[in-house]
Amino acid sequence: MSIEIDPVLTSVIQRRLKSITEEMGLALLRTTRSPILNEARDFVTGLYDEAGDMLEQTEYIPVLAFALQPVCKAIIDFFGDDLHPGDVFLHNDVFSGGNQNNDVAVFRPVFLDGEPIGWAACKGHQADIGGAVAGGYNPDAREVWQEALRIPPLKIFDRGQRREDVWRTIFANIRYPIVEQDIEAQIGGTAVGERGIVELVERYGIDVFRAHKEALFTATERMVAREIEAIPDGRYRGESTVFYDGVTDGSEMTIRLEATVEGGGIIFDYSGSSPQTPGFVNAPFAATASATMLTFLMLIDPDIPHNAGLHRPIRIVNPEGSFLNAAFPAATTFGNSITGPISDAIFRALADAVPKTVTAGWNRFLGFAVSGDDPRRSRHFVDILFLALKGGSGATWNADGYDHIGLINCAGGILAQDYEMFEIQNPILLERHEYLADSAGPGRWRGGLGVETAMRIEGENVTAVAFGDGIVERARAFGLFGGEAGSVNTSAFRFPDGGEKVAKSKEIVRDIPPGTVFRQRAGGGGGYGPPRERPADLVAGEVRDGLISREAAREIYRVAVDPETLELDRDATAELRRP
Amino acid sequence: MTYTIGIDVGGTFTDFHAMDGGGADRIHKVPSTPDDPTEAVMRGLAELAEGEGLDLPAFLARTIRIVHGTTVTTNAVLTGRVARTGLLATAGFRDALAMRRGIREKLYDNKYTAPKPVVPRRLRLPVRERIDRTGAVRRPIALEDVDRAAEIFSREGIEAVAICLLHAYANDEHERAAADRMRECLPDAYVAASNDILPQMRYYERTSTTVLAAAVGPIFGRYVARLNDRLVESGFDGPLLIMQSNGGVAAPGTAAANAATTLLSGPAAAPAASLAVTAPHREDSFIVIDMGGTSFEASLVRDGRPAIANGTTVDRFAMALPAMDIKTVGAGGGSIGWIDGGGLLRMGPDSAGAVPGPACYGLGGTRPTSSDASLVLGYLSATGFAGGRMTLDADAARDAIERDIARPLGIDTVAAAAGMYRVVTVGMASAIREISMERGLDPREYPLVCAGGAGAIHAAAIARELGITRIMVPRVAPVLCAAGMLATDLRHDFVRSFATPFDAGAIDVCRLESLADAMAAEAHATLAAENVPEDRHRLDFALDLRYSGQYHEVEVRAPDRSMLTDISAMTEAFHAAHDRLYGYALPDGETPVELIGVRLAAFGVTEKPAARPLSRHGEPGSKGMRNVYLPDRNAFESIEILDGMTLPAGFRGSGPAIVDTPLTAAFVPARFDIAVDDFGTLILTDRGA
Repeated sequence: MSIEIDPVLTSVIQRRLKSITEEMGLALLRTTRSPILNEARDFVTGLYDEAGDMLEQTEYIPVLAFALQPVCKAIIDFFGDDLHPGDVFLHNDVFSGGNQNNDVAVFRPVFLDGEPIGWAACKGHQADIGGAVAGGYNPDAREVWQEALRIPPLKIFDRGQRREDVWRTIFANIRYPIVEQDIEAQIGGTAVGERGIVELVERYGIDVFRAHKEALFTATERMVAREIEAIPDGRYRGESTVFYDGVTDGSEMTIRLEATVEGGGIIFDYSGSSPQTPGFVNAPFAATASATMLTFLMLIDPDIPHNAGLHRPIRIVNPEGSFLNAAFPAATTFGNSITGPISDAIFRALADAVPKTVTAGWNRFLGFAVSGDDPRRSRHFVDILFLALKGGSGATWNADGYDHIGLINCAGGILAQDYEMFEIQNPILLERHEYLADSAGPGRWRGGLGVETAMRIEGENVTAVAFGDGIVERARAFGLFGGEAGSVNTSAFRFPDGGEKVAKSKEIVRDIPPGTVFRQRAGGGGGYGPPRERPADLVAGEVRDGLISREAAREIYRVAVDPETLELDRDATAELRRP
Repeated sequence: MTYTIGIDVGGTFTDFHAMDGGGADRIHKVPSTPDDPTEAVMRGLAELAEGEGLDLPAFLARTIRIVHGTTVTTNAVLTGRVARTGLLATAGFRDALAMRRGIREKLYDNKYTAPKPVVPRRLRLPVRERIDRTGAVRRPIALEDVDRAAEIFSREGIEAVAICLLHAYANDEHERAAADRMRECLPDAYVAASNDILPQMRYYERTSTTVLAAAVGPIFGRYVARLNDRLVESGFDGPLLIMQSNGGVAAPGTAAANAATTLLSGPAAAPAASLAVTAPHREDSFIVIDMGGTSFEASLVRDGRPAIANGTTVDRFAMALPAMDIKTVGAGGGSIGWIDGGGLLRMGPDSAGAVPGPACYGLGGTRPTSSDASLVLGYLSATGFAGGRMTLDADAARDAIERDIARPLGIDTVAAAAGMYRVVTVGMASAIREISMERGLDPREYPLVCAGGAGAIHAAAIARELGITRIMVPRVAPVLCAAGMLATDLRHDFVRSFATPFDAGAIDVCRLESLADAMAAEAHATLAAENVPEDRHRLDFALDLRYSGQYHEVEVRAPDRSMLTDISAMTEAFHAAHDRLYGYALPDGETPVELIGVRLAAFGVTEKPAARPLSRHGEPGSKGMRNVYLPDRNAFESIEILDGMTLPAGFRGSGPAIVDTPLTAAFVPARFDIAVDDFGTLILTDRGA
C-alpha cells in the first residue's frame, strides 16, 4: 500500500518529535543531582526508530551530537529479537559505540501493540564511573580498565522488572550514590520519551508515521546536501596539534584532515593523523565523529532538524590505531577534549572555501576537577571549576567572538557556576572572576574574551586534576585573515607557605593545603580580519571599558586614545592608520 | 451610577473594559500612542465618557477605581530607552551581569552574539568588601569606593544606581551602608539595593533583576506620575492601581519602589479574567490562550491559582521576581509562512505585524501570513473585519499564498492555506504542552479559555490537537486583560534565602519562625500603606525545597502558617510534589532534603464588580451563509455565519458555523456543539467524531 506524503504532516511530526526530546531534557535538568548534569547540562536526549536511526535529538551541549545513534545500533545488533516492552538498557563502552566512559546512556525500546516502533534514550556525563580516579579523568591511565567500569550493551530492566543483581553489581563499582540516582532520573527521562512517541504513532498509525519519517529524513538530507553544494567542490586540508599526551613532556600529536567536497556530499578523512598515545589522550571513533559533526553543524543553517537524514551526505574516514580512533584497550577519557583541536583543523581546512562561515580558533579549554573534604559539613565535595575554564570563542565574519563561552564542545551550553551557590556547595571562597583584559584575539572582529579567576581553597585533603590544553604559546586560539591569536591559558596554586605550583595540562595535584590560592586565566578566542580595520570608536569604547589596554589599542589596532579622558583621538588615529 | 475601569496598554491597541455599578460593561479599543501612552488612555476615556453621554470630568468623577496594565517598562528595556544606570558590585565580580553565566542560547549559531548589558562595563564599579555564605564579614566595606563611584556616576549623568553585593541575602549590612552613602552623594538618583529588590541567593539573577529594577524605576515613576496628574486634572479622585507581572495589582508607590514587578505586566491579567468567566461553571482549572497580531500567549490556572514562575528573562537577561508563568511564542495573525531549504512549510517567527501587515490588509505587505490563510479558508470575513472598519483583500491573500507556498510545494492554494493554518495550530499546541505536560499536567483535563482577536479562529483546531473537548470564548475576549484587571487582588511577593538541611534535627526552627514573622510584618505594613484593612489581608507561605545536590527547587505551599514549621508534613508534601512533577520521589530518608528559601505571597482582597447576566433574549441573528473550509472534510462547504452580538443566553446550536462579533470570530467545526451561558460566554463542546 502506498501512502501519500502530506508535506504539512511531515512538518507536524518533526515539531512533535522535537518537543518530545525537549520535554525529556527538561525532566533531566530538574531531577538530576550532579552539577555536571543539572548545571553544566552535559547530556543529550533522543528518539530513534526501530532500526536505530535518529528521529530527533536535542543536544544540551554539542559534543554529544553523534553519541547515541551508533550505540542504539550496537544494542540492536547484540540483543536482536530479545527486546520486550519494559526493557531498559545501559551502555558506556567506548569500544562498542560510546564516546566517553563517563557518558552513560540509557535506552528504552518502545512498542505499540507488541510491535517495536522505536527507542527513547538519554545519555549523560556521570560524576563517577569507577576506575582508578574519582570522576574518571586519570592522566595516569594506560588502559581502559584504569579509567572506568566498562558497560557494553546491558539489560537492567527485563520486561518492567529491575534486575537487582545486575543493578547492584554496577553500582557496587561506582563511588558516589548520586550516580545511581542520576541514572534513575535518566530512566525517568526515557519513560517521558516513550509516552510521547507512543501517543504520536497511535495518532497517525504506524504506516503513515513511517512513511512520513522517511520523507522527513529525505527532506533533511536534501537541506544538508544543498548547504554542502554551496561549498565549492575540492579537497581541503587542515592540520592542528594537540600538546602533551600526559606521559612524555613535550610530546605533540598531529591531526591531519582532508575534507573532500563533491556536489552535495562531504568526506572528512583523518588518515595520516598521529598514532595512538600510551596515555589517555586518545579518542574513540564516536568522540571524533561527534567533534566533526558539531563543527559541521556550525557551518550550516542552524535550524535544520537533527535526524538520520542529517548524517547521510557526510562520511567520516578515520582508520583505527590513530589517536583519533584508538584501538582496544586504549585509555580514551581525554577524547572529548580533542574536539577543540579537531574543529581547529576543520575551520583551517575550509577557511578559504567558506570564509564567511568559519570562525577563528576557539580557546582550548583547561579544566580542573577539585575534590576533598568539606570541614563545614564533614562531607566530601567534588566539582569541576567550570566558571574558571570558560574562555572566548573565535571571531567570524560580521560577528565578534562570544565572551566567556568556554570549550567549543559545549558552545555556550555549559553554565558557569553561580558564585553564591558555588560557595554554598564547596569549601572555596572566590576572590575574583572577571573578564581578562587583552585576552581577546585582535581583529576586524575580535575573539571572545577570556576570564581571570582567583579562589581560596578552604577544604581539607584537596586534590585537583588538571585536564586540558592551551597552555603553550602555539596552542593559543589562532586568528584568521589577518586576525591575531587569543591569549594563552595559565594556572597556578600558591600555597600558604609561599610555594607555588604550576600544573601540567594533564596532571593530578594532591594534598593541597587549606589557604591555598588558585588562579586561572582562561584565554580568549582568535580574531578575524586585520585589527586596524576595526571601527576605531569600538576600540576606544573597549579601552574605556578596561577590556583593551591603551598600548594594545595603539600598537595592534592603531587607535589612539586620550590618556586622560580615554576618548578616541581621531586625528592621531588617522595618522596611525595611514597606510 | 459608578464605574470601575481596566486599561491595558499594548503595543498596537489600548484596551478598555469599563463596568458600571449595575454590572453592565463596555468594551473599547483605541490605537496606542507609543510616544506618550497616556495620550491613548485619555482619548479612550473621553470616548467612553461620550458613550455614556457624559463629559470626561463627570465620567471620571463617577469612576471609583482604575486598574492599569502597561508595557511602558518592557518597551523601555526592549528598545534600550531606559534610565542611565550604574552598578556597584563586590570588587572582583563586576562582570557577572554581562557574562550571564556564559551561556549562548543558540549552540551552533556562531553569528549569534551576546546581548548588550543595560550597564556598560565602565559604569559597573567595584566596592571592596566581602561577606561569606554564612553572613560573616570577611572584609569590611571600603566606603571610599562608594564615594569614588558616586563621583564617576555624577560625572556620567547617572539617574539610577543598582547595588548588588555578594551574599547580601545573608547579611545586607554592607549593601545598606553603600546605599545610604550613595543616596547622600547623589540625592536625585534612584538607588536600588539588591536585598530590597530580591533578597534571594544567586548573584547573577539578583544582579540582573536589580539592574532591571533600577533602569526602569525612573521611567516608570515619571510615567505613573504623568498619568496620575492627567487623571486627577480631569476629575478622577479614586485610587489608581497598577497591574504587576505576578498577576496582582499594587498602589503606584509600591510598584515604583520596585518597577521590575511591572516588566511583564501586559498579559498577566488574563488568568484572573478567565477565572471570572469559568466561575459560573465551577471550573477553577483551565488553560487560557490569547492570540493577537504577533504573539500567542498561554498560561495555566490550577485550583483557582494561576501558575507563577520564579525566574524568567527579559531581553535575554534574568528577571527572577515571581511572574505569571506565561509561555509566549511568535505565532499570531501576522506570522509569515515560508518554505525552508528542505521543502518543509514553516510559519513564523517573523511577523508582518500591523505594518506592513498581512497581504490582505493592503497596507504594503506582500508575504503570506496566518491571517491571509484564515481569509482564504473563509474563517475571516473580508468585509466585517475590525468592526467593519477595514476591508480585506482576498485576492492579495490568495496571490501571496500561491506564490510563496503553493507553487514551491506543488499543491493548490487552498491546500497551502490549510497547511499554514495547521502548522500555526501545531505551534500553539506545543506551547500549551510546555505549560502543561512539562509540568506533569495533562491538558485534556482542562477546558481551553480563548481570547485575543485571532484566538477563536484556531481554538477548536488547537483543542483537537491536544484532545481538549471544551472551549470557552468569553464575551470580553478581545479585551480580556483589561477585563482581568478589574478581577485581581493586590499582591506582593516576599522571599528570603535560608539555606539549611531540612530535617527536624538540623534545622533552626526558631530562625524559620522569626523569618516568617518578619516577612508577615512587612507584608501587613505594605498592604496597610495601600489602605487595605487587615481583615482583607491573606498570606500564603511556601518553602523552596529540593533533594540535596539538585539544582532546581520545588515550591511547596504551606496550606496554613502553622504547617510551615511542621518539618515532617512539609517534607511529605515535597515528596508528593516532586513525584507529581517529575514522576518519582526519594522518600526513603537516604537522600537529604534541603531548604533554600521561604516565600510569601501577600494578598489584599479587593471588591470585585459582579458581572450582570446577559439580558438578551429572542432569536439569534444570522449574517447569512459563506463558503468555509472544513479541515475534517477537507473541502469547502457553505455554512452559517451567526451574529454573535444577538445570541441569547441559553442558546444551543451546533457546528459547522462561524460566530462573528465585531472584534473577533470563532470557527466551530462540525463535531462541536455551541452553547451560550448566562454571561454571554460561548461554549464549544467536542461531541466526538
